[in-house]
Formats: sequence, C-alpha cells, structure tokens
Amino acid sequence: MLIIDCPYCGPRDQSEFSNGGEAHVKRPDGSAEIGDREWGEYVFIRANPKGIFYERWVHSHGCRKWFNCVRDTSTDEILKIYKIDEERPKLDSFKNNVKTPSGEPNLGSGNFTVKK
Amino acid sequence: MSELNLTDNKFIQFHQKIGFKFDGVKYYGYKGDTIASALLRNNIKLIGRSFKYHRPRGFYTCGIEEPNALVQIISEYSEPNTRATIKKIYEGMEIESQNRWPSLETDIGSINNIFSPVFPAGFYYKTFMGPHKNFWKKIYEPIIRKAAGLGKPPKEFKAVSTHLYHNVDITIIGGGLNGLIAAKSLIDTKYSVLLIDFDDQLGGILNNSNKVQSVNNQTPMDWISETVKEIENSKNIKLLKNTLVTTYNYINHLIAVEDKFVGSRPLKDKVNSTLHKIRTDQVILCNGHIERFLSFQNNDLPGIMLCSSFEKYMCRYGVIPSKETVVFSNNSNSESLVFSLIKKGFKPKAYIDSRSGENIEPDLFDLIRKNDIPLYTNSQIKEAYGNKKLQKILVEDSSGGVNEIKTDFLCLSGGINPDVHLFTQSKGLLDWDEKDLTYKPAQAFQPTITLGSASGQFDFNAINKEINEKLDIFGIKPVQIKLKLNTSHKFKIEKLWEVLPQKQTIWSKSFIDLQNDVTTKDIRQAISEGFDRIEHLKRYTTNSMGTDQGKISSINALGIVSDLLDKKVNEVGTTIYRPPYAPLSFAAIAGRNSYEYYDPERKSPLHNWHITNGAVFEDVGQWKRPWYFPLSKDETMNDAVQRESKNVRENAGVLDGSTLGKIEIKGKDALAFMNLIYTNSFSKMKPGTSRYALMLGEDGMVKDDGIICKISDEHFIATTTTGGAATVLGCMEEYAQTEWPNLNVYMNSITEQYATFNISGPKTRNIIEKVFPEVNFSNEAFPFMTFQFHEYEGTPIRILRASFTGEMGYEIYVPSNQALKIWEKIINFGKEFGLKPYGTETMHLLRAEKGYIIVGQDTDGSITPLDLGLDWMIGKSKKDFLGKRSLIRSDTVRKDRKQLVGILPTNKNEKLEEGQHIILDKEIKTPTPMLGHITSCYQSPTLGHNFALAVIKNGQSLIGTKAFASTPELKTIEVEIVEPIFYDKENTKLAS
Repeated sequence: MLIIDCPYCGPRDQSEFSNGGEAHVKRPDGSAEIGDREWGEYVFIRANPKGIFYERWVHSHGCRKWFNCVRDTSTDEILKIYKIDEERPKLDSFKNNVKTPSGEPNLGSGNFTVKK
Repeated sequence: MSELNLTDNKFIQFHQKIGFKFDGVKYYGYKGDTIASALLRNNIKLIGRSFKYHRPRGFYTCGIEEPNALVQIISEYSEPNTRATIKKIYEGMEIESQNRWPSLETDIGSINNIFSPVFPAGFYYKTFMGPHKNFWKKIYEPIIRKAAGLGKPPKEFKAVSTHLYHNVDITIIGGGLNGLIAAKSLIDTKYSVLLIDFDDQLGGILNNSNKVQSVNNQTPMDWISETVKEIENSKNIKLLKNTLVTTYNYINHLIAVEDKFVGSRPLKDKVNSTLHKIRTDQVILCNGHIERFLSFQNNDLPGIMLCSSFEKYMCRYGVIPSKETVVFSNNSNSESLVFSLIKKGFKPKAYIDSRSGENIEPDLFDLIRKNDIPLYTNSQIKEAYGNKKLQKILVEDSSGGVNEIKTDFLCLSGGINPDVHLFTQSKGLLDWDEKDLTYKPAQAFQPTITLGSASGQFDFNAINKEINEKLDIFGIKPVQIKLKLNTSHKFKIEKLWEVLPQKQTIWSKSFIDLQNDVTTKDIRQAISEGFDRIEHLKRYTTNSMGTDQGKISSINALGIVSDLLDKKVNEVGTTIYRPPYAPLSFAAIAGRNSYEYYDPERKSPLHNWHITNGAVFEDVGQWKRPWYFPLSKDETMNDAVQRESKNVRENAGVLDGSTLGKIEIKGKDALAFMNLIYTNSFSKMKPGTSRYALMLGEDGMVKDDGIICKISDEHFIATTTTGGAATVLGCMEEYAQTEWPNLNVYMNSITEQYATFNISGPKTRNIIEKVFPEVNFSNEAFPFMTFQFHEYEGTPIRILRASFTGEMGYEIYVPSNQALKIWEKIINFGKEFGLKPYGTETMHLLRAEKGYIIVGQDTDGSITPLDLGLDWMIGKSKKDFLGKRSLIRSDTVRKDRKQLVGILPTNKNEKLEEGQHIILDKEIKTPTPMLGHITSCYQSPTLGHNFALAVIKNGQSLIGTKAFASTPELKTIEVEIVEPIFYDKENTKLAS
C-alpha cells in the first residue's frame, strides 16, 4: 500500500486514490483524418515498463483532482508527483536502478537463482 | 496428571479450575492453559487425524508453528482449524477433533493409510482424468472432498471486528528478550513506538526455557516484569499484546490481528478481534526463531514433539508431557531441555545425538554423564513404532548396531530457523548460512532491522553489540545487559535432514510435511519426474502448503532437495513467503464492512412512502428501488407487473425516478464541453429543450445514456443511468481536467438534491393539470422534449416532457425535502383517473415494448450506437466527440456485428429467458453456431404476446426471418426476428 502525496491535499493512503494508467498520452482529435493505427494506439496501447513509469492518479475519495506521478514499478517507489499542467520531468533526472523487490537476487529469497 | 507444580504463577492460575469438553468428554484444566497444555495435563496425546492418510497425530509443538493439533471450536460458531497449541481454554468450551469418522480412536478413513502406496505425489492429477469429463465433478471430487480435508466450515457465523489505524515512528515486532531490550532503550525518546507481541505474556524465550539464568542479576521473571512496567509507564511506547503481525507490505505497512477474548468465551455483542493497520517509518523484527524437526520413518507418531516445545510446556504451563522421554538432536538447542528435565528430576531415558562426542557441548556432555543418562553419539533414530502412540524406537549407534529403546515419548531437534517470514514478505533477501544451516536475513528491502535470533544471531553474548550497532541510528544510549546462562551461549549444529529407514517398504513413511501428509518419498518422486524447481516441487507435492506453511519443515525439504540435486541450498532457493504469516479470519479483514454495513444503502426521499404502500424493493447499484407494488401478499410479481403495465397503458402510472443520476454542468464553455462528451450535437438546440443523448467510450462503445436539458449555452443538466452516475461524473471530470483544461466548465452531482417523478399514460395531462393548475400543458405551450421551471407553493420545480414508456408523460424534478408532499398530492389528485404507482419491473416491460434500451442490460460494452440502430443520435457534423473516430474502425464497421433486434416466439405464450442463445437450426448439434443472445424478455399484456430484445449477428438484415432460441435443456423454441419496437411505432402517443 502506497502513501501518495496529493499535490493539493498532502500525503494520504493509497485507498483514497484511483490509478489512471499511463500519463502524457495525448488524445488525438477524433476526426476521420486520424489513421486507424494512430487512433488505435491512443485507445488501446499503453506502456507497462519495469522501472520508471509516468502515470496518472486521481484523488477520487478526496479533492477529485487528477495529477501525474513518476513511479519505479520495480520497487514501487514514488519518485515525483506533479500537477497535470506541469512539465513532464526528464527521464534521466531519475535513477533507474531496477532494484527489484523479488527478482533476480544473488541471494536466496525466492526461487530466482535457479532460473539461471 | 502430568503436573509439575501447583503454585500459581503469572502464566497459570492453579486455584482456578476450568472445565471444558473435548470430543464430548469433560476435562479440567487451569486458567491460562491452552487446549494442548490442558489435554496433556489429562494425558491426552492423540488430538487428530491427518489430512490425507488419516494417521493418528499428537501435539508436535507448543505454538503457532503447530502442524497437527488443529481442532474445531464448537462453542464459537464451530470455528475450524484452530491451533490447540495457542488457543486458550475457558469454562464451558467445547472442542472437537477433526477429519475423523466415526471417532478419533476408530477412524474409517485411516484405511487410506493402508492404500497409501497408491496415493503418491500428483496422484489426483494423474488418476482422475477419465473416463468422462463429468466424472471429476460428479463422482471423484465429492468423494475426495468428504475423505480429505481439515475442519468443517462454520454454518451460522457473525463475528464482530473493527479496524484500527496506527501511524508510528518505530514498530517492534516481538516482545522477547531482544524486543524488550530494544523497547526499553527507546523509552522517553522522541520516537513514537509500537511494541507488538502475539502472546499475552512478554518475555519469549525467557518464559519458555531455562536457557537464561539471570538478566542484570535479576531472575528473568523479575527483569521482565520490571521492564514491562517501565514500558507500560512510558509516554511514547504503546504495547499491543495478543496481537499477531500477519502481513508486512510495501512502504512499511503492517497488518496485525488482535484477539480480544484470549482465555474467555467471545461475547456476541462485543468486538471479537481488531485488525491493526500500521504505518511506520522503521520496523524492528524481534520475532525470534522456530525449531525444525527431522525426518525418519514414522516421525509423525503421537508422542513425538520438538525439544523446545517440550521445555515450553514445562516452563510455561507447568505440565510435563512425559516423565521418561528420549531426546534426539543434531544441535545444541537440546541442551536446555536436558538441563530442565534434570533440574525437575525427570532425567531423559536416553540422549541420542547425530554428532560425535567431541562436537557435543562439553557442559551438556558432562551433564549427561553425571546423571547416568544413556548416551548415543554419532547415532540416529532409524524408525519409530507404535499404534496410535509412540511405543519404541530403533537407534543406529556409531558402530552400526541397532538398539531398540522402549519409550512413549521422543523429543526432537533438527536445528533452528530465524522466523524470516515477515522479513521476506517485506521483500528482504535471505542468505544460506553454511555454519548454522539455515536461511538468514541478509539484505533488507525496506527500513527493517532484525535483532537476535530473528536476524540469525544465535549467540547470547553478542546481544549487546548487535543492539547497540543496529539501533545506533536512533541515538539511543548504549545498552549493557548482563546475561548469565544455564547453557552454552553459542549455537552449533551438524547437518542431518533425514534418516533413511532400516528397510524400506511401500508403506514406509518419513514425513516432511505433517499437515499435508507429504513424505520424503514424495519429494524424491517429484524430482525424478522433473519437478526439481522448488516452486514446482512445492505445488506438485503440496509440501509446506498447509495452514502452518511448513514452519517446522520447509527448510528440511530444501536441505533434502539440495542433497538430491547436488546443489547448494542457496541455489535451490526458498519458495516465496507470502502473507499472511498465519491464518487470519475473513471476519477480521472485513471489519465493519459486513452484513448490513457491507455496502452503503441509498434510498430515495420517498423510501418510507414505498414501504408503507407495500413496495417490494430491488437493488440497483447501491439504491433500493421499488420493484413492484403488490396489492396483497398473494399477488406474484408477474401478476403485479401485468396489472401495473396495463394501468399505465390505459390510465396513468407514476414511477419514483429519483435514483437517476443528475449532473449539472456550468461554465462559459459548457456547450463545447457537452458537444465533446456526448454523441449528439447541442449547438442548435434552443434553451428550454432537451435531447436523448448517448455517451461513448473512446473505443466507440455505448457507455451511458440520458436526457440532456439545455438551460443555456453555459448551463446544462444531464441525467444518467442509476448505476452509471458516478462513472459519468468521473469521466467528465477526467476529460475536463486532463484533456481540455482550457475549457471553462464545472460539473457537480445533484442526484440526491432532486427527487424525480415520472408520470405517464393517456390520462397524465388530466392529472397534472389538476396538480399544477397554473401551468399550460397543451401541446403548443409545452411540446414533447421541452422543460419549464415553475414554482409550487413556494417550492421551485422543473417539469420535463419526456417519456420512457411510450405514453405521453412528464418528469417532475422536486427538491428532495419537498418530494413527499408533492408526490402525495399527485397520488391523491390522480386517484379519480386511476393513477397507480409502478415499479422498475413494469418500467422495464414498458420501455422494452417501445424498444428503448437499457445500457448495461441490452448493451454490454461491445455495442456501438450503430449496432443499436441509433445512427440518428450521432452528431455527424461535429468534428469530434468521445469515441467518434472509433465508429469508423475496421471492427466497428464490420457487417456481421451483433445488432439489436426484436424477437417474437411463434407460439405467443412460449416463455423466453434472458441469456438464451439465438441459433438458426432447429436441432442442436454441438458445436452450434450462435447468432447472439436475448438481452431482455417480457410477457406483454398489451401485445398479448411474449417478446424479447436480442443482439444478433447481422441482425438488422435478418429481420423477418425465422430462428430458434435454445434452452438449457437443449430444446429449441421457434421465434421470428423483428424490428426492435413493438408499440406505437409512429410515436403518436408521445406527442399526443
């Protein structure tokens, strides 16, 4: 369970929020000139990276405001939270260490060592 | 009786006798006893039958790690699978043993033990494959379910529990020696601290063994009570006893369950358990270690117990399970048991150690020699024998000779494991310690500190150093604890996982998992069949998959597997430890969100009127809506709906539509916004008019519908479906904030602020003119799909001319607090015209006759407006709206999409059912190509015909053709595919 620092209300429990998937997916206007591929990617395709991920959250049981968040999906660490109209922080401003909580350790927890 | 002393102490009140029943027989124990200690006092050693082979089982441990002693508590809603080793007794408690029939002594199921050679690992997967696929469900599964398993689920059950939240700086888990020292060092610091222990007595190993003689020159008991008092009196430390931490989540989020009725009968109207949800900056794990067992033939017999558990029964409960026990060990942990036994005057019958004499602790060696205890070094127990209890053991000594020892009790120690469960739940990494032969915490993933044996630090002399080093970050004063020990301070062990038997038969069993009846033979078989990855092996053999999660045995399995595969244990790895640490009840998790509080109930402002007038209610989302209004108890729903719908068609009816979602949209750019959200175009609409509108998802599928009233270009009121109101508002907010933040628009839910009455029927105008005499309801002054604001006795109201039934009708919006007054007026004034209230079922029937859809019933998220034949609702001139581009995707323009049609059975009285498939062939031959399915169907008194709506592939072009509806009995009903409108196709009534 995350603690999410709502830019309008402050740090609150994850149960007050809803996740809105990948952030910075610009909606093309819905006119017929948009190609099937471009429109299909907007409607159906979302990134799901291991590591640094730009995503949206909404404080649905609070101020009901949408905001953006940068989270390391491998560790669940929240790296940055910013308002919807703020500029997207550059990827290289974060350390992408992919320190997985359970994946590929040298040590014995989990059965990953036998995968090699 | 197996008592040691009868003087009261803080654990047991010997003056307070407690009567309880086990399998119908009355026994006595004392206040403070667990079920296990009380039964052992009464010389009961057989407690249950095992899961698969129904083998007799006794108490193997004295704590939460217990694999065998699971009982059903009859006196607590028949709570199953309760650990007898931790559940405390109370007066009048009723307990039953599990998985035996007809009785514990004579169990028919134990025949499984004789047939056991045919039940190897993977038996079920391999055997119950045929001859027909129904055999599993109808024959095998019911038989297996009856024979295998643990307790029976409780029948009537209403536990009460609450949730409690904590936000603290430091949480210490475990109030044993290290936990107490850590907590004490944090007294009166700036940190808020939570100290949690599962027991009702703090002290851990100090209570449960004689390892420690004194702490800071005090007896351990004096030191504990003094320390606990200091902690309790401190301002910054909160103590939670009887509380088990089950879960260690991300971001240092812990879940713990507190039992509020330890040692007493839970009261029905009091909170039985509290679920603590803890947020903390730092966790200190001091949850100690768990002793493990050893595998040899028949190592499951009642009368075999772990060494430290035996000692705990003596020290903690003052009961000695046997006065003549044999001890078998491969490590130094048995030393303190031998010491305790000799101190109490019950010296062991024999001491067997797999280590050689020079590797045994010198103190232990001397103690055994001095007391003339038969000593077998370099020796192993090959086999144990007995019928429902241990009777003799075979010991192979260093020379290879086999000695038979008659004994009724055996204490085992196969080493100790730090209790790493919580540490690994927190995603900490473990490392195998080749010296101590166990997995130890190596690298924390979260701010987690481990102390004492929980960190794999088994040396009593290193306690001060470890605490001072690890707690230095808190700036505590260095602690100096002086410990005097009765036993050696270091832990030593020699490798031994399993002793192979003298001669192996097909019935030989040396168990590796007692609860799930997994033998070492099963492990070998699984590996030979290729299940050599530890996670596969676990699932194939079900090793460590019981409710005890293999706490005393899973590491042994890793040891055996590593030997078989000739790999290091670290290479074998452990299976992943998942929460919870021990079972916790759903009642505790549910907390107050159960029964009547499970989900909020929303009620219309007229709810009480509906009750008074005999309404039967239906759940629609969270709302309670009147389903129908039966005239008497004898009137069925079908009869009531026939009557109500006929009345609307002939006279007039009124429906409470207050639950419909209502959203108010305002702002300079409200018009532009609404044009983007809905398919329709609102630009040319005049103020004071309204329009039926559709909302799509970006995939082009219908998400919601409603009527949009335009007050001005800057002010709209939208209605939504009852269930969709929150989603629609959420969607509007999302797009307003994220996609079009440049639009000046605001929206707000006004669902609960206004009640809605839907009046319709041919006599509606007569009624409404009487209620609102100042309003001109003529067609010219008040045309279809327009609305007006009026005042009624000082109350502002809005009247909308619209209809969901096909009859002429009006919707009246009234502030909720005035709703009842106006509703009653309408009902009274309408009486002479035959006005009757009707419910949702009649509303469904009427709208289906007219071919109006219900989003979510006739659509399922894969239906476009074109599929519904609602092309006219799409604002084709609009450049953009939600989902517009998707309406020309290759998938949405497919010819063979499912489309809405009407269905009429050839025999007009033939009953159709929702969900029935529509097919082309009269005979059902599998596989039968399916055209689509029925989404709504009703019996119409107006048409004198049963009819249905359906979505059918290419349906619009099939109109006029015959088809068949299939029934679950594989019969077919002949039907005709027709236009999806059955009543007043010309819309003459709407505008009449």
